[in-house]
Amino acid sequence: MNKIFKKALLLFSILVFAQSLVADDKVELKEHFLKKIDEVVLIVKDNSLSKNDRNGNIIKSLSPMFDFELMAKLSLGNTWKQLASNDREKFIDLYVERMKQSYSSKIDAYKDEKVEVKEIQQPKNNRIALLTDLVSKEEKLEIVYKFYKPKKKKSDKDIWLIYDVEILGVSILKADKAQFKEFLQTKNISELMDVLAKRS
Amino acid sequence: MKFTHLIFLISIVLGFSGCSLKNVQEPSDIFQYQEKGDELLDEFENELKAEEIYDPFGGYNRVMTSFNDGVYEYFLKPVSKGYKAVVHEEIRISVGNFFNNIYFPQRFVNNLLQGKFKNASEETGRFVINTTIGILGLFDPAKSYFKLVEHKEDFGQTLGFYGVGSGPHIVLPLFGPSNLRDALSLYPDSLLSPVDYDDRSYWTLTDTWLEYTAVRTYEYVNTNSLDIERYEEMKKDAVDLYPFLRDIYEQYRDNQIKE
Repeated sequence: MNKIFKKALLLFSILVFAQSLVADDKVELKEHFLKKIDEVVLIVKDNSLSKNDRNGNIIKSLSPMFDFELMAKLSLGNTWKQLASNDREKFIDLYVERMKQSYSSKIDAYKDEKVEVKEIQQPKNNRIALLTDLVSKEEKLEIVYKFYKPKKKKSDKDIWLIYDVEILGVSILKADKAQFKEFLQTKNISELMDVLAKRS
Repeated sequence: MKFTHLIFLISIVLGFSGCSLKNVQEPSDIFQYQEKGDELLDEFENELKAEEIYDPFGGYNRVMTSFNDGVYEYFLKPVSKGYKAVVHEEIRISVGNFFNNIYFPQRFVNNLLQGKFKNASEETGRFVINTTIGILGLFDPAKSYFKLVEHKEDFGQTLGFYGVGSGPHIVLPLFGPSNLRDALSLYPDSLLSPVDYDDRSYWTLTDTWLEYTAVRTYEYVNTNSLDIERYEEMKKDAVDLYPFLRDIYEQYRDNQIKE
C-alpha cells in the first residue's frame, strides 16, 4: 500500500513539475529578451564606436534572436514553394540583408526610449508573444514580438526565435506579404529580387 | 519516504508559482510540432492568413497614391524642412498641442458613443486642465503633471466598434489611405471640429474649403516637421508603395478599433 502511495506521489510530482517547467519558458524568455535589450542599449550609448561598427554590433547581438530566414519564406507565402533552390537562396540573402538594414536604421533613431514588457501571451505551446511598450518622453509605442520554438534548436540561434514584429498593430510580415503578393501578380520573382537588391 | 516527500513539496511550490503566470494548455498542442520544411510553413500560413483587403478601386488608388507621394516629396517635405529650420521645436510642439486640444469634442463624443466613460471623463479633465493651466492648450500639463493621457477616437472607430466593416479601400486626395467607412466618417467628425469646411450656425475656426485646406495643411506641416523621417523610413521598406501603405493602414485601423 505504502509503495503504491509513494508511486502515485512521485507521478503526481513529476506531472506538476513538468507543468512548472513550461510556465518558466515565459519568464525565462522575458528575462533573456530584456538582457538583449540592455546589451543593445550599451552598444547604442557607446560613442567610441563608428556608426557602421555600432550597427554591425547591434545586428550581431540581435541576430540569434531572429529567424530572418523563416520570415523571408513566410513573406512569399505560396510562391515560396514554387521557387527553384538557387532562387530560394538568393531571395533569403536579399531579404535578410534588407531586414538588417531596416532594423539598424530604425535603431539609429533610438534616443532615450525604454522598453517595458507589459504582457506575455502563450497562445500555443510553441508560440510566445511579448507585448512591449517603447516608452519615450512624448509617447508610448506598442510593439509585439512574436516568438516560436523550433523543434530542433538551431546551432547559432536562441531557443525561442522571433518570426514577426507588430508595431502599433501592424505586422511587418503581413505588410511584406501583401506587397510581395501584389508585386508578383504583374511581375516575376527576379524583378522582385532586383528591387530588393537595389534597396539594400 | 522522506525523499519522495521532498520532491513532492518542491514540485508543488514550483508548480503553483508557475500557475499564476501560465495559460491553460491544450494537450493537442503538444503534438503540433512538425518541422519538416513545408509543414512548418503551412502551420504559419494559417496563422498569418490576413483577410484579403477589398479593393475594387485598386487602379484609381494606385494613381492617387503616386499623386499624394508626389505632393509630399515636392511640396510638403520641402515646406516642412524649411518650417523646421525656422521655427523652434518647443513652439512646434505647442502648436501641435493647440490643435490636439481643440479636437477634444470629437474624441469626447466618440468615446461616449463607444461607452468608454472613463476615457471620456479623462478627456474632459485634459481639456479643462490644458485649456486653463495649459494656456489655451499650448502646453500639456494634464499629461506631465496629472498623468492623464489622450484617448484618440473618431467616428470611423465608433462605427467599427459596432461592427461596421471597412468597405472598399479608398485613397483620398491629400488625406491619403482611407476606406469607405472612414471616409464617410469625416463628415460627422467635421461637425464636432472647430476646423471644418462649412459655414456652421456655431463658431468655428474655418468656414470655407480654402480656409480649411490652409489650416489643415499648416497643421500637417507642423506635425510632420516634428518627425520628418517617419514617412521616409516607412517608404524604405516598401517594394510596392500602394499595397504596402494600404495594408499598413487597414491593419492599423483594425488595431485601433480593437482597443
